[in-house]
Amino acid sequence: MSIFAAVGRDTIERIEYVGGLTVQFYRGVASAWRANPITGSKPRWQTSIRQMAVVGVHALPVVCLIAACTGLTMALQGGAEMRRLGALQLVINLVAVSMTRELGPLITAIVVVGRSGSSFSAEIGTMVVTEEVDALRSMALDPVEFLVVPKYVAMMVMLPCLTIAANTAGILAGGIFVNFTLDMGLGLYVRRVLEVLVLRDIVSGLIKSIAFGTIIVHVGCFEGFNVSGGPVGVGRATTSAVVKSIFLVVLADLLFTAFFYFFWR
Amino acid sequence: MSENKQEMPGGVPDRDTIISVRGVVVRFGETTILSGVDLDIRRGETMVIMGGSGSGKSTLLRRIMGLEKPTSGRIFIKGVDITSCTEKQLNDIRRIMGVAFQSAALFNSMTLADNVALPLREHTKLAESTIRLMTRMKLEQVGLGDAEKLYPAQLSGGMRKRASVARAVAMDPEILLFDEPSAGLDPIIAAEIDSLILDLKRAFKMTIVVVTHELASAFLIADRMCMLRHGKILAVGTTDEIRNNDNPRIRQFLDRIPDKVAGDQEAYLKRLTGR
Repeated sequence: MSIFAAVGRDTIERIEYVGGLTVQFYRGVASAWRANPITGSKPRWQTSIRQMAVVGVHALPVVCLIAACTGLTMALQGGAEMRRLGALQLVINLVAVSMTRELGPLITAIVVVGRSGSSFSAEIGTMVVTEEVDALRSMALDPVEFLVVPKYVAMMVMLPCLTIAANTAGILAGGIFVNFTLDMGLGLYVRRVLEVLVLRDIVSGLIKSIAFGTIIVHVGCFEGFNVSGGPVGVGRATTSAVVKSIFLVVLADLLFTAFFYFFWR
Repeated sequence: MSENKQEMPGGVPDRDTIISVRGVVVRFGETTILSGVDLDIRRGETMVIMGGSGSGKSTLLRRIMGLEKPTSGRIFIKGVDITSCTEKQLNDIRRIMGVAFQSAALFNSMTLADNVALPLREHTKLAESTIRLMTRMKLEQVGLGDAEKLYPAQLSGGMRKRASVARAVAMDPEILLFDEPSAGLDPIIAAEIDSLILDLKRAFKMTIVVVTHELASAFLIADRMCMLRHGKILAVGTTDEIRNNDNPRIRQFLDRIPDKVAGDQEAYLKRLTGR
């Protein structure tokens, strides 16, 4: 009996979590028109712009650095195998396709989870503890619209941008390897990369990054809103936001990849 | 509860009543925080809700603010049942309410001026210069005229409390709610907050609801007060009525007599060893 009870309670908790997340997502999307520069109110889109700087611009160096390291690693690993097959120039295909389709979006998302997802949950969690969220509600301001939506708008704009930057950095870093082993100039390398890539590779990566951004913002903020138990709770929420976001990002990556494999070739 | 039953025959609040709480029950799982609270607050009066820690007074206040819904019972504010109305109606009610939270709850990322200006910027279409003027006026009212460019973290506890009052009155609310206004403040600053509340009461004729356990400040600011204990209202009345009330529980609270700890040595040892 106790096993059933435990499984049941856990299942209900999961369903409640997903339900709460869905409600927040719906409310976020429903009031997104109020936080963008075209239709939004001024204080709100100003917050969005500020968030774009924090989420996007400030993350650019670290995202590019990590993507470059990954791109070079891919080239080295691939190069070792391809050399045995005598097809070293296939490294170009390998790096270009795997960065744009897979590694660019994924690595960007994971860096952004660590940088921004954690800070979203810490920020909102602290506001819950200090009654600031209650204060917002008591002033007839919707916390989702006020706190989540500017972050969401910023993320929707910046994560694809960061992904493109990561793709570029990774591919260029792969070019360093190719430059030394195949004695191919960077200009020629870039031209080969552009021949190899099709629009589908890049677009599918960007679609993924939109999904990842949605997960990062909403899980991070949702964990923050659910903080209870003071400063310890904020720490717990931050940890759980990072763990859950990374898991969901990887899961979404798998689902999208499977979808593209079967339905968009 | 029996004391205030004859005060409100039927369930319909009269016209002078601005907030009326009817049979509010709050339960968290097995524990009952409020068990059937009835309370009427009249327009323009200062009602102090008193009670010890864990008596449910803050829980009651949060229900009146509409932050959470009671398990059962109804709360009418200006005739609107906030336990069953739409989100939009609730937000309309919230615009006529100002709240000063226990922890001040100022937005740490904004300056004092921006904190006070926030409700004006969000809910009115006033020009920025007007908003700035009103903000300065409100801050001046609470004696923080020269601190408007500071951030909440740069202020002392008392200043933060006063700033939160300034923000609460920014929209000139009809109802002003205070959660433990003098908690954690030294007696001088607590007295400052009391006189601030008295000033607001005189100047604006607002309905003020204060939750507190500070006796001195309660008797100073209240027109009427009610006494909560274990989620029930023991008595409602004017300050004099409460002061002369002979309910033993109220006497205990007012005369500051500690609860009798079971003096039985053996029982004490049993509790300690858990056997």
